[in-house]
Amino acid sequence: MRKKRSLIKPLKLLSKTFNTQPHFVEQSNQQEIEIKKQKISRNYKKNLETFKTLYSIPDNIDVKTREFTIASLNRQALVIYLSTMTKLAYIQTGIIDDLVENQDPDRSIPDIVSHPLVRTVEVIEDILQGINSGSAALFVDGDNKCYLFDTVEIKSRGIEPPKNEVIVKGTKEAFTEKVIDNIALIRKKIKNENLIVEFKVVSKRSRNDVFLVYEKDLVDGELLQTIKDKLESLDTDSIADLSILEQYIEERPRSLFPTILYTERPDRAASFIEEGHITLLMDNSPSCLVLPATFWSIFHSPEDHYLRTPYGNFIRLLRIIALFVALFTSSFYIAITNFHVGMIPPDLLMAIAGTRERVPFPSIIEVLMMELAFELIREAGLRVPSPIGPTIGIVGALILGQAAVQANIISPIIIIVVALSGLSSFIIIDVSFNFAIRMTRFLLILSAGFLGIYGITAVLIIGLFYLGSLKSFGTPYFAPMTPYFLSSRDLLIRHVPMKDRFRPGYLKPKDVVRRRKG
Amino acid sequence: MKQQQEKLGIREYVCIAFLMIGMKGTEDTPSMLFSHVQNAAWMIPLLSGGLFFIPLFLLLKTLSLFEDKNLFEVIQLLLGKYIAFFISFIIFCLNTYAISLDTRTYTNIIRAYYFTTTPILVLYGILMVVCVYAAKKGIQRIGSISYILIFYVALSFFFAFWLSMKDSQFESIFPIWGPGTLELLKAGPLGIGLWGEFFILASLISFMTSFKDFRNGTWIAFGCVVIQLSLATMLFIALFDKGLSVIGYPFHVAIRYISIGEFLPNIETLFFPIWLSAAFIRFAAFLFINALIFGHLFNIKEYQYLIPSLATIYLLIGMIPETPIDVALLKEPLRYVAGPTFAAISIILWLSAWFKGEFKHAKNKKNM
Repeated sequence: MRKKRSLIKPLKLLSKTFNTQPHFVEQSNQQEIEIKKQKISRNYKKNLETFKTLYSIPDNIDVKTREFTIASLNRQALVIYLSTMTKLAYIQTGIIDDLVENQDPDRSIPDIVSHPLVRTVEVIEDILQGINSGSAALFVDGDNKCYLFDTVEIKSRGIEPPKNEVIVKGTKEAFTEKVIDNIALIRKKIKNENLIVEFKVVSKRSRNDVFLVYEKDLVDGELLQTIKDKLESLDTDSIADLSILEQYIEERPRSLFPTILYTERPDRAASFIEEGHITLLMDNSPSCLVLPATFWSIFHSPEDHYLRTPYGNFIRLLRIIALFVALFTSSFYIAITNFHVGMIPPDLLMAIAGTRERVPFPSIIEVLMMELAFELIREAGLRVPSPIGPTIGIVGALILGQAAVQANIISPIIIIVVALSGLSSFIIIDVSFNFAIRMTRFLLILSAGFLGIYGITAVLIIGLFYLGSLKSFGTPYFAPMTPYFLSSRDLLIRHVPMKDRFRPGYLKPKDVVRRRKG
Repeated sequence: MKQQQEKLGIREYVCIAFLMIGMKGTEDTPSMLFSHVQNAAWMIPLLSGGLFFIPLFLLLKTLSLFEDKNLFEVIQLLLGKYIAFFISFIIFCLNTYAISLDTRTYTNIIRAYYFTTTPILVLYGILMVVCVYAAKKGIQRIGSISYILIFYVALSFFFAFWLSMKDSQFESIFPIWGPGTLELLKAGPLGIGLWGEFFILASLISFMTSFKDFRNGTWIAFGCVVIQLSLATMLFIALFDKGLSVIGYPFHVAIRYISIGEFLPNIETLFFPIWLSAAFIRFAAFLFINALIFGHLFNIKEYQYLIPSLATIYLLIGMIPETPIDVALLKEPLRYVAGPTFAAISIILWLSAWFKGEFKHAKNKKNM
């Protein structure tokens, strides 16, 4: 690789000299940064002033301050909180009521207040961070520390069934936007003290936090360190969502094929954690990332394991057939009709030729047009408001296809070919992998138009080598099949669950054996 | 642990070896054998396999003394700098000659049977581009992909042979000794050229997980390939009988000949992509090994960067012959030279190791 870079280097330098970055003048907020570094004062009036300037009160409407007197101690007190992120009842009953109604002058503040979650901080920066994440801050005149009460309550939807990874048998819970609930969903499935939830702040300005969830006694220390280093090395202002984080930490963000598994099912996440994988969760993202991911983990569906062994294997086989059908039907059609006509039985050949008689386009144009139309219908079907969705589907699929045939723009067999490959692509549930398959299909169509089966095979082999060279955090894409690793051989066909004896060896788990023999 | 992932396991190695040498049954080798010894051609792989067993055994014995050194390092250690360079260079030249003509042969096959109007250069160029891409990914990837494909390759070959059985007449292998035992024995050494690749594969030792894997893998692959080649030749004889002498590429004629029932008369397009994938793998591995040898000869550490330029040279050499007949004629001397040369080098290596007392040395070491 080094040599290659040395060739590109002068070009890069050249483009750098021409594309100079515009010079920005950043307004200095040095003064505010200085203030944030300080500790709070004993004088609560001064504290109030400081926070009023920092939060721009009264312009900032959801920052509330409440001043009152603690009669028993004869001291002034002040509570600051964000009304949109806290539960008011907690502040009322757990903090203010207790302080106001207290009679005993000898008790200290933590003894008076009944709210369970308290910590004391002194530096202004830390207090700000607490308030920003939904805590209420209590200042008492004469104290040089501030009490932070965890009163956070963020509005979000409840736990709902998954929308994209739909299954028939098995749990029907999906992750929500609230990370605490998501962790609870995982904990509910793994009741073990070794399940660790670690916390890391990844962006500088928005201070988005990422939660690493893994089992301490399974996960490979080296892998964990790699991921932590990767998260720490991110240098950015904001990462709003897990799907953006995915692009930040992927090895090849421009690659067609995903190397990180993105799932919205807690049961799937839990089963991966139990194998020794690491999952990443984030606030505001109704999903989790599983790493490292292999071709097989992306290809499998949780339902394969919920269904009884023969049924599970049946849908696996269906899926692998669908994968091939989705990839190759259109290109195979083009290759055969243009280059290897002898392959088609003569009667069928005459029939195809008969329907194509009045179509003015070459078959590759036909296929490309129809594939494009199918993708358009599919994308439109996703975006239209749900009441008119089915109508659009019928209009698109039936009327458009039928009319196009009658208008002699395409031949009827194209509809069969495109519908078959389009339908099959829906069987691959992983969103990223689905996109990869759909885009590769166009590549194969073009190569088939260029050199028939020879072109398809050449692209296929290059693709296979490309996939083989992909790595997800050091794990080869086709592991554990090749290169070989010890595993329970859950690849194309799965065994009965009792035979599922090993955790995948490529993760180097601390405990490979899941189940002893006998 | 990370290091281990870069190594080639025994499965992958056997697959590479099988695809590299087993593919010979699907090109012009069977008809070449037939032209020498007629209907006893199927015995040649067995006979020459038996003959080549001795040098291969000696070679592995010698290599086992220097466990993690590859073939060329061992040659250098045993024969000294200058002779070693000379011998390695001869091996490299033979390989260059072989790969250039073989790739051209495959291009000829593709052109003759599937793309009769496409210019040779286009077909040849694409073949080389794919092989360069694959070879640049490294021998580990080549191994992985051949492991993924081997199942389909084997399945499709067996399927083709099974379908062809319907029209075969196994009586055509008689008279069993063909033109006579003497002729057969004379042709034996000719067949040694079939197994030359096993000798070159020894340069992959340093990529393997262990020498034991390499040794066992070599024997497994050797056994499989000997049987496979012999079986393939026998089936072609049974299918075509005398006609085999005028058929250039019997496998491709066979898959054109067979059909699935009445409704699918021409199924060669089903076998073609699988055969082609195997061909890509074969030449990718070949290219990689050649680059490795070249890198070793001229002390080039990052030999992967040689692959595109080497491939271009092979393409240019391969374009020289005008017709498929010229290719066949040019290939003839290679068959006589390559096999005996490799066998001779193996024996020379073993002898020099023996005279130098390396075997005793190793034994003493073990006893200590």
